[in-house]
Amino acid sequence: MTPPTCHWVRSVLTAYLDGELKPSTAQAVRRHLEHCQSCSEHAKQLEQAWETLDTLHAPPVRPGFTERMMARIVEEKDLEALEERLRPDRRLRQIVAAVSGLAAGLVLGLAAYTWTGLTAEPASPVEREVCRNVAFLEDADLVDEMAVIEAMDRLSGKSIAEDGV
Amino acid sequence: MAKAIAAVVGALQHGGSLSAATDYDVSLMLAFQKGNELAFQELVERNHTRVIGLVYRFIGDSADAEDLAQEVFLRIYRARLTYKPTAKFSTWMFRITANVSLNALRSRASRRDDVSIDQMADVHEGPRAIPDPESRMPDEHMHQEELRTKVREAIHTLPEKQQIAVVLNKYEGMSYADIARTIGCSTMAVKSLLARARDNLKDRLLLYLRTGRGRQRIA
Ligand SMILES: [Zn+2]
Repeated sequence: MTPPTCHWVRSVLTAYLDGELKPSTAQAVRRHLEHCQSCSEHAKQLEQAWETLDTLHAPPVRPGFTERMMARIVEEKDLEALEERLRPDRRLRQIVAAVSGLAAGLVLGLAAYTWTGLTAEPASPVEREVCRNVAFLEDADLVDEMAVIEAMDRLSGKSIAEDGV
Repeated sequence: MAKAIAAVVGALQHGGSLSAATDYDVSLMLAFQKGNELAFQELVERNHTRVIGLVYRFIGDSADAEDLAQEVFLRIYRARLTYKPTAKFSTWMFRITANVSLNALRSRASRRDDVSIDQMADVHEGPRAIPDPESRMPDEHMHQEELRTKVREAIHTLPEKQQIAVVLNKYEGMSYADIARTIGCSTMAVKSLLARARDNLKDRLLLYLRTGRGRQRIA
């Protein structure tokens, strides 16, 4: 076996120092270092620089991390619930429902308007029911928005009541 | 709390996968996946010191270390439904820790890039300039804190993958194979990453090693 070159030794020196070489390879490196001053000096510097990294001690951990973390998880759950409410498909379904409700209301309203002989006020029970449903569907968005605002307030730690004061 | 978790973990260890049986943290994560929040709490309790320590070594700032460690556990919490026990829990957790820390470093760097041209001129003429060996050499007065700053700077100037490999190898004592699993590359690639990283560190820190002052203080 030809003796290893300095170039080859340098390329495996870190793995050697980390104990990550096969025993036979490690032995070849060890023999080279015993005789080559340049490579052994290089190895010494690598080790010294590596030891310098020990100056970065881990910082002391403030007690109560787990409790603070679990408090944050409570906030996270509120957020997840909020996101669930605001999922695009859910919003889309609400809008479709509101729009089709409005359209149905208009058609029925127009029919009732014609049928009752051009009266301005909703007259028939059907017509009044439709008008109530349209109002409810429009309010559905408002109800939703209120829920969002309330959830936001809970997250920011203040209530709507406080806002009014 | 411990009793409740021990019961769940015990049940999992009988019917669970091999990795769940050999890695207690994996068992906890699986218990959490089934809805046991106490298991998550115990995961936090068991691992937060290591995570905070690692974040600190990545970002070099103890003030931000706790916030970022919380971010790490938040990601673990959010991943509960998609988590699969394919590796050691620590491998997965350290990957998240490295991602969170390096993202924070990147956004810090981009904030630095936002400084005005005037400020930039100052920065380049100021302490960021390459130290002049003649003027900076009175290392007899080099304080431990100064040395720490140099070490931090030296680590931060490494390419990201080298940083991760260095931090995991140095401060977690991870083998090349475990580092490879954490960052998703081959063991050979880790070998070459660490070789280059340690050469870089030697070159950057040599100035402070020559006097031997820094080393005396470490020892
Ligand atoms: Zn040699």
